[in-house]
Amino acid sequence: MAFLEMENVSVGFGPEGFRTEVLRDASLKVEKNEFISVIGFSGSGKSTLISLLAGLLTPDSGEIRLHGKKITKPGPHLGIVFQNYSLLPWLTVYGNVELAVKQAFPEHSRAERREHVERYIEMVKLTPAREKKPRELSGGMRQRVSLARTLSMQPEVLLMDEPLSALDALTRADLQDELIRIWEEDKRTVVLITNDVDEAVLLADRIVPLTMGPGATLGEEFAVSLPRPRDRTTLNTNSDFKHLRNEIIHTMTAMNKEAKKLRINQGLSMPDIQPIDYTAA
Amino acid sequence: MKFKILKALDVAGLQVFDPVVRLICGENPPAQLKKILLFIGIPIVAIIASIFAWNYIAPRHTTKAGEVPTPGVVKDAASGIWTFHVRENQKAHDFLLTGEQREQALADVEARMAEIEPLAAAAKERVDTLEAQSKDAIDTEAGPLQEEYKALRTATRDAAKEREAALIAEAEALPTGNAAAREAFLKKVAEHEKLTETEKDELRAFKEHIDAAYAAKFPELEAARAEYNGLEEERQYLSKRLEYLTDGNQSIKITAEEQKLDELQAGFLMAEGGKDTLKAAEKVLSQQASIERIATSEYSRPWTFPDQILRSVWCVFVGFLIGSAIAIPLGVLCGLSRIFMAAITPFIALFKPVSPIVWLPIVFIIVGGFIADPTTAPVHPAFLSSAITVALCSLWPTLVNTALGVASVEKDHINVARVLRLGVFSRLFKIVLPSALPLIFAGLRISLGVGWMVLIAAELLSSSEGIGKFVWDMFNNGSSQTFAQMFVVVFVVGAIGLLLDRIMIVLQRSVSFDGAPTAL
Repeated sequence: MAFLEMENVSVGFGPEGFRTEVLRDASLKVEKNEFISVIGFSGSGKSTLISLLAGLLTPDSGEIRLHGKKITKPGPHLGIVFQNYSLLPWLTVYGNVELAVKQAFPEHSRAERREHVERYIEMVKLTPAREKKPRELSGGMRQRVSLARTLSMQPEVLLMDEPLSALDALTRADLQDELIRIWEEDKRTVVLITNDVDEAVLLADRIVPLTMGPGATLGEEFAVSLPRPRDRTTLNTNSDFKHLRNEIIHTMTAMNKEAKKLRINQGLSMPDIQPIDYTAA
Repeated sequence: MKFKILKALDVAGLQVFDPVVRLICGENPPAQLKKILLFIGIPIVAIIASIFAWNYIAPRHTTKAGEVPTPGVVKDAASGIWTFHVRENQKAHDFLLTGEQREQALADVEARMAEIEPLAAAAKERVDTLEAQSKDAIDTEAGPLQEEYKALRTATRDAAKEREAALIAEAEALPTGNAAAREAFLKKVAEHEKLTETEKDELRAFKEHIDAAYAAKFPELEAARAEYNGLEEERQYLSKRLEYLTDGNQSIKITAEEQKLDELQAGFLMAEGGKDTLKAAEKVLSQQASIERIATSEYSRPWTFPDQILRSVWCVFVGFLIGSAIAIPLGVLCGLSRIFMAAITPFIALFKPVSPIVWLPIVFIIVGGFIADPTTAPVHPAFLSSAITVALCSLWPTLVNTALGVASVEKDHINVARVLRLGVFSRLFKIVLPSALPLIFAGLRISLGVGWMVLIAAELLSSSEGIGKFVWDMFNNGSSQTFAQMFVVVFVVGAIGLLLDRIMIVLQRSVSFDGAPTAL
């Protein structure tokens, strides 16, 4: 039995008759302290997948289990980092993290809580910006706060929904390194949703592609056997890395083409008529 | 430092002065000057232009309460209101003065009185001579005209009579049955009537001319009159003060009454015979009661305009508090529960447009039902009804905005609350309310503005002391001075409304976390 299991999960939205099925029979197994990356095109149901894993959404059919127990509602043990940070704008960096710590560890004393919050702010290197409000921070810094908030709850599973996709390339690279460092320091089970193949290869132990929606499911997975700790500067010349990356990109584009073809086939049927050439007459 | 000031200006909604601060700090002077010209210079020019326009238009319309006051008259009215306030305070103060202070004040007043009496007399003399002069001037101007008018009137009257006699003579000679001749005669009569009418018009025009001559203004005389009036008013005020410093003074009154009491007590001590002793005892007691009354009495100070302003601000504040205390919890419930919202929506839609003029009488009667005797009630029913009317009219924007704010909490924030497993109250106080706060405050700001507008009407209608009552009293007074004072009210009400709005802007800014500028 795997640590986190998803079994034949289907979910859809919309009223009866106009229902769009987002996920169909998706299954996933994640081992303890494993770093999984799910990649997919936009609109393929990645956010729905993570919402299911976080318990924010209940599947129409199938089951999701955390060490054998069915997930029915969200909670601090299923830490989620949202794509758009979701920080509370009226609280400071400290306040945002503190709120989470207060809920996750109600038994902490005031001093313990303070120490705990400060440790996680330090972990994402935001101690100087402790008393700032989210709107005074850059996008990268905001996502660090969001990460600190989630990590501070010490979740059993860390779920990340495209955490870096709203950032510019340089900040993104910086935060990727940061993620690697933090994960090495504080190993835990991670599911990272991304649309960036390089990012997935750099960070994950295993990469699972999400097929094109609607009715998406999880495709055949790629194991990343690159040695850790990984370093982006040397990785670029690594032939294994290049090979894996090309393979994934190839699979993904093929999937995209296939989906497009399917879509065209589903389109309007052309009337069976031929233009008549009158010039010959 | 510079940025602190700029930030403070921004928070207070006074960005108008932003370029001034920048200019003083020497930041790009040409650009700042341009901005100052646009945002400060042009408004000032517009204000000055409107004052000139007002000054020009106002005297050209005469009402039954005199001419429409010019800016100068309004300014005088404002200072008159203030003088009245200061003088009433002084009188109230005098009433309670005792001992040396009283004597000192008395000496001051007497000195001023001695100073002012000859001045007033001189002013009176000047007014009299100027009045005589102006009368002469009018007589020399209008006298001949008057004569001319009389002559003209007699002449036209005679001419009309003559024409009429001629017509009568002609009519007697008119053969009966001759249609053509009768027709011609009819025409002549019509002509005669028309002529008479024209002559009347001429006479009327002439008369108006004479009236204008009589109504001629003499600025010198008016200035002298104003000066005399001012001095005379001060003289009256001083004599009132004298009264409150002597016989009307509380301590003096008590001393006099105590003397009487001593006498009565002596009489009681010596009284003989059952009836007389009883009577003497009763007198002593009633005298004691009367001293008690004087000791607790206060100067019966009339409401001055500044008092009424404070009263109005207090009333709007009470009404606003009542309204918010109803609107915010209801709004939160509406925002949280669709069922509640559906239940409340018809009431909002139906009651929101109801005018304060309708609410007030209803509230007045209901409040009157609870408060039987207004003199012993802790709050005056008129005050309470005004406040409740303000609440009823002003709670809607807060209610709607609160509901909107609570209902439109970002879904991500709700997700955060779910992940953190916040309880109902934590969710409300840590996520929902903070997130709705800027909208709630925006609603409160609109509510306060509405409340302030409604209040004046409510006070006017309920005759609760306040600005509205002041306006009503001034309207009923109907003199040109009170007319000018109503203009003062316009500016005061506007200024206070502006101030309240600014205060709300500062509050709204201080709770808004998104840093978005608030609409001005």
